[in-house]
Amino acid sequence: MAQNFSRYFFKRLLYVLITIYFILTFNFFLFRVMPADVEDILIPKGADEATKEALREYYGLDRSYLEQYVDYLGGFLHGELGKSISVRVGAEVTEVLAVYVPNTLLLVGFGTILAVFVGVVLGRETAWRRGKLADRIGSSFFIVFYCMPTFLFALVMLMLVTHYFPSWPARGTFSDDYYDLDLFGKIIDRIQYMLLPMFALVIETIAAFSIVTRSSLIDVLTEDYMVTAVAKGLRGRQVLRAHAMPNAMLPVVTTVAINVGWVLSGSIMIEIIFSYQGLGYLTWDAVWGQDYPVMQAVFMLETVAVLFANFIADMMLFKLDPRVKV
Amino acid sequence: MTSPLASLLSAERKEKLKLLIRDGRIFWSKYKHNRTGIAGLGILVFFVSMAFLAPLIGQYDELYPPNSLEWARVNPTLSAPSADHLFGTDLYGRDIFTLTMYGARASLIVGLMASAISIILGTGVGVAAGYLGKSWDELLMRVTDFFLVIPWLPLMIVFAMLMGKSFTNVIIVIGITSWPWTARIVRSQVLSVKEKAFVVRARCIGAGSFTIVRKHIMPNVLPLVFASTILLIANAIFSESFLEFLGLGGDMISWGNMLEAAYDGHAFESYAWWWILPPGLFIIVLIMAFYLVGEATDEILNPKLRRR
Repeated sequence: MAQNFSRYFFKRLLYVLITIYFILTFNFFLFRVMPADVEDILIPKGADEATKEALREYYGLDRSYLEQYVDYLGGFLHGELGKSISVRVGAEVTEVLAVYVPNTLLLVGFGTILAVFVGVVLGRETAWRRGKLADRIGSSFFIVFYCMPTFLFALVMLMLVTHYFPSWPARGTFSDDYYDLDLFGKIIDRIQYMLLPMFALVIETIAAFSIVTRSSLIDVLTEDYMVTAVAKGLRGRQVLRAHAMPNAMLPVVTTVAINVGWVLSGSIMIEIIFSYQGLGYLTWDAVWGQDYPVMQAVFMLETVAVLFANFIADMMLFKLDPRVKV
Repeated sequence: MTSPLASLLSAERKEKLKLLIRDGRIFWSKYKHNRTGIAGLGILVFFVSMAFLAPLIGQYDELYPPNSLEWARVNPTLSAPSADHLFGTDLYGRDIFTLTMYGARASLIVGLMASAISIILGTGVGVAAGYLGKSWDELLMRVTDFFLVIPWLPLMIVFAMLMGKSFTNVIIVIGITSWPWTARIVRSQVLSVKEKAFVVRARCIGAGSFTIVRKHIMPNVLPLVFASTILLIANAIFSESFLEFLGLGGDMISWGNMLEAAYDGHAFESYAWWWILPPGLFIIVLIMAFYLVGEATDEILNPKLRRR
């Protein structure tokens, strides 16, 4: 088992690394194949001749594609992703990212944990009461929220909150006097600002997790061994906890992993709407300022995040489900 | 009895046309009993006629802000819905009712064109992978998986930025980023059809690959593709509205554009709900309509796949 696991682990890891390599290559060629000229993309238009020359030197644009490619890959390993054009003029892209990434991590991380917890509980309770009134009401709510486009939901929410609760901090990341607060105050402040975007972000995910948990649990509940467990004299809730849930969780793990990509995409929209300074907000800034290097880095980072989420899900499935083979 | 039209059609074509009409009739006789499907179809008809009739129904022609004092004096800015302006006006004094009418055009055009691109790409890759098999299959499916794993929204944004802001580019970007699912579906269907007896027999009597794909494989793949097309359209409309909201679209009036203008024009702070709700609700309703029609079509065309 242990040996199997490490074999599986390294095989999947290799796959992830190969995919990252392909994405790097794809990114490199994307910028050189597209109709726009590389120079126009990587060098700000209004820059003076000296800056332009320095940037040309930096990216090695006068050398052959092969040399540029090798340089680009090497630069990536050293954390050099290019220089920002407009978001922070001339700064290393990694420095720019360092400011925005923690905010998104907070939002998406806590959002996902909350969504898994609430979604699984709701799914479990509706499946347990399947066919009853609570289930029918719950399930229709799941479907409505699942179909609702996230960013429209967020727009309407923002509009209502700014109108009816004008004093609530609806937009931004933290208040102006954030740095003067003590730790506890900082946490409270953060929570206040994060509440709305997180609610808008998780509502769809909660619905998705509830639907998956519910349908997978209903599948399990109709299995023969559930009847056996009841016949053995176990009470209903015990059966649910000890026999049904562990088996029903397998599809949920996969869904959570797949959803990381969705949540990241969703957070782009949400962060823009609530002016929350995360990767999504950075995307908006980069689009407006035509900051290609920053946009490219954001794209890279999000793809890698999704790949690793899938990787972790694979590992968890291997541990949870003995049927998965190397 | 040879009318000029009939003489254009060979006997074989006529037979095919008859079959097609018959299939259509059967499809409709099942479809009309599906209540949600009919509701979705009704909404679609409403939107399509809205798009066509926009110049007639729209109360005002001036759609772009002319930036003159004259204009601002004649047209009230940010006025609530009234008899003059059914949905009110925006910050630039434009009539929101007219804008919303024209916006339906953008959504429908993007929905149809983008999903056409993605269907062609997806079906092409899927059929090639499934039919050619072996190393081709391996290669094409690796590429497909690669695109499936990349988060779609950042990918679209990167493409749209590199290609430049225009309405056509929005269509192309959505088309070239949404084909992998179609390719997956088509490939699995081709794999199962390929081994069926009639395909093997066709090959035995000397039919070429092209003929087999065209006459035997495609007819079995298309119903599946068709059902997924409708969902693709819904997704394309949603993606378009978001790309336009981000400011990556062109000058064409669309609901996404309107939302962008509303957001930039601080419609939220001034509580101009009439500027946000019409485009927002119309996007949701249009997407829902496509989902309803898609579900109903899927149930009829692919009864085996029906969900519980």
